[in-house]
Amino acid sequence: MMGVLALVLAARVQAQDVEAGGKKAEVCAACHGANGNSQTPTFPVLAGQTARYLSLQLRDFKEGRRKDPNMDPIVANLSRQDIYDLAAFFAAQKPIPTAFKQDDSKAAAGKAKADETLCTMCHLGGFAGQNEIPRVAGQHYEYIVKQLNDFKAKRRTNDAGNMTSVARTLSEQDIENLAQYIAGLQ
Amino acid sequence: MNSMKFGLVLMCALSANAYGQGAEIQGGMGAAANEVPKTIAVTQTQLSAAARDAQNWLHTNGSYDQTRYFPGAQINAQNVAGLKAVFAFQTEVMESMETAPIVVDGVMYLTTSYNHVYAVDAVTGKQFWHYKHKMGPVTTFCCGPNNRGVAISGGKLFMGTLDAKLVALDARTGKLLWETEIADPEKGYSETMAPTVIENKVLIGTNGGEYGICGFVKAFDTDSGKLLWTFNTIPEKGNEGVWAVNDATGRNLHRDIAAEKAALEKDSSFYQTLGGGVWMNPAIDARTRTVFFVVGNPSPDLYGAERPGDNLYTDSMVAVDLDSGAYKWHFQYIAHDVWDLDAVSPPILLDVKDKSGRMVPAVMHGGKTGHIYVHRRDNGELIRFSEAMIPQENMWVLPTPDGARMLPGANGGVEWSPMAFNPNTRLAYALNLHQPMTYHVEAATYPGGKLWLGGAFKTIPSEKQWGRVAAVNVDTGKVAWKYDTEQPLIGGALTTAGNLVFFGEGNGLFKALDARNGKLLWHFQCGAGANAMPVSYSVRGKQYVAMGCGGNTQLDFKRGNSLFVFAL
Repeated sequence: MMGVLALVLAARVQAQDVEAGGKKAEVCAACHGANGNSQTPTFPVLAGQTARYLSLQLRDFKEGRRKDPNMDPIVANLSRQDIYDLAAFFAAQKPIPTAFKQDDSKAAAGKAKADETLCTMCHLGGFAGQNEIPRVAGQHYEYIVKQLNDFKAKRRTNDAGNMTSVARTLSEQDIENLAQYIAGLQ
Repeated sequence: MNSMKFGLVLMCALSANAYGQGAEIQGGMGAAANEVPKTIAVTQTQLSAAARDAQNWLHTNGSYDQTRYFPGAQINAQNVAGLKAVFAFQTEVMESMETAPIVVDGVMYLTTSYNHVYAVDAVTGKQFWHYKHKMGPVTTFCCGPNNRGVAISGGKLFMGTLDAKLVALDARTGKLLWETEIADPEKGYSETMAPTVIENKVLIGTNGGEYGICGFVKAFDTDSGKLLWTFNTIPEKGNEGVWAVNDATGRNLHRDIAAEKAALEKDSSFYQTLGGGVWMNPAIDARTRTVFFVVGNPSPDLYGAERPGDNLYTDSMVAVDLDSGAYKWHFQYIAHDVWDLDAVSPPILLDVKDKSGRMVPAVMHGGKTGHIYVHRRDNGELIRFSEAMIPQENMWVLPTPDGARMLPGANGGVEWSPMAFNPNTRLAYALNLHQPMTYHVEAATYPGGKLWLGGAFKTIPSEKQWGRVAAVNVDTGKVAWKYDTEQPLIGGALTTAGNLVFFGEGNGLFKALDARNGKLLWHFQCGAGANAMPVSYSVRGKQYVAMGCGGNTQLDFKRGNSLFVFAL
């Protein structure tokens, strides 16, 4: 009996996550687009992002480990449940391919750099992401470039040293090539 | 440090699953058709005698000795050229495959990434049932969503899951019998290894050396899932060890021991996040009631300043008491590791010649360093280490922010890949990688459940990568022969009484070599990375060889979803 009751409860909690998250996400659409499919290259696509990554990033924004003038005021009043709901909502949305047009030779150089840097050991094959390691496939080119530059310059440091270390030895050209390759993984 | 976060959800999920409601079982034509059409009952006598069993494959690594030696010789060096595929079993999961199928009485149990289990007729490939673990809301794991197989005892199967649970399944129906939480996945604990079962105990370690866990090996009761004992791989007191200056082979580790001692004075609380995962099955000597396993790297992998001392028992072989989990001995290969060249490949029990030429009980391990280490089984003393199986350069240069080149690269040497030992040739067969890398360090404090490398390692594009099967004489430590491959090797080796060594490559080739000289005798193209662990078995007098070919996340080898079975 307890088992059945608990099952019903568990199902309800999970269902509410996405649904409640959808309502809470209405404010996000202004920048991140409908259902997290951002049309603005400086704002990341959130649709299909891993829930674990999204919730940890929201927590980091809220607790000051990651900073962004747009995000800081938005996250200030989010509760832990809000964060879980939002993460569940965006993770459940289908990413729509962006309008990005790939430069084939730069993308080929980017793939070689990605192989050398062992990106997929953490980001999974095709940069699909897993757990707290984000999906980057099909992300906006401009956003990827900015993040890699921020890691390199240590403006973004909530990565436990992994990405700052990876980005340190990337040249400007490497970053451009990597972003060409990854943004093109639609 | 925040275990209450998903408390409610987890509690609900747990109590639901305890009644078998949370998982899915799928099959063909209704419930009855999904059952294995015979009683499955593996006795302890069978499990203990598995090394001499030419019918079944009952343990991940063949037996409690973990030699991966199959005593059947129907398929042998003379006739292996005629080996043909009998069937390919396709799973629904197209992702890294590292499983070692368990085969009992003509029924095969195999697993895939994301904790699916299939029961299959080992002769025809017909599927009986398919179990999908219902994953909890949080998973945290390094190096791919892998699973390396189930363990079997009586009529039960046991599997560790990515969300750090241990499940027991009915081997006949695939129904969930019980489920228990091993550790908190939010803190970076996860399971990819197959458990080992002996008597009433299920033994299992944990992943998480890349996440600042506090590692362990635990024993759970086979009937209830109740925790029986825990051995912590990171002792709260004494983890600083002996301030070793050299590694196990006598090479200087370039430690600043004065600075480390000063850091330890200031803060010794880091032991709680010091890592020490256990990735592969333990070996068991039932006569002396001893469990042998190797412990992985300290956390963070590359940045050592905040974890002064030898970081015991990371990068070590450890022996504990089977009944209580009490410490017996340890031997550390690399103190204060900052290269992630840890101990992963499962230990093998065998007898070897000691330094005076007398045969003694021993336990050996193939290291990511490229050496095989052979120890006395009773006290851990190092009898010998093999000559280097792959190139070593600049050992032990310290990682720098811009990267320092050292060989081997951080994947080894011998990764988790289990070696095989053939008592007839006296050779151990080790699958090696040669992957030149630069090691980069970056200061980083404990990030609370996020990946925590404290730096990075990168390959060097101008330097060729390759693999090598090395056959090492266990009585001398000399490499008897080597067989080089175009890609680094990851996966298991199998050797047989038919003088064969089976292994697979990332390019999809599954191969058989002559165990005596390394000559290529047979190969088959699987179409995706052949990176699982091969096994052999017999049904009604016919010998088979099985190999999972689903590629590999860690080395990004082409993914697939199939297991191939071969016979003459």
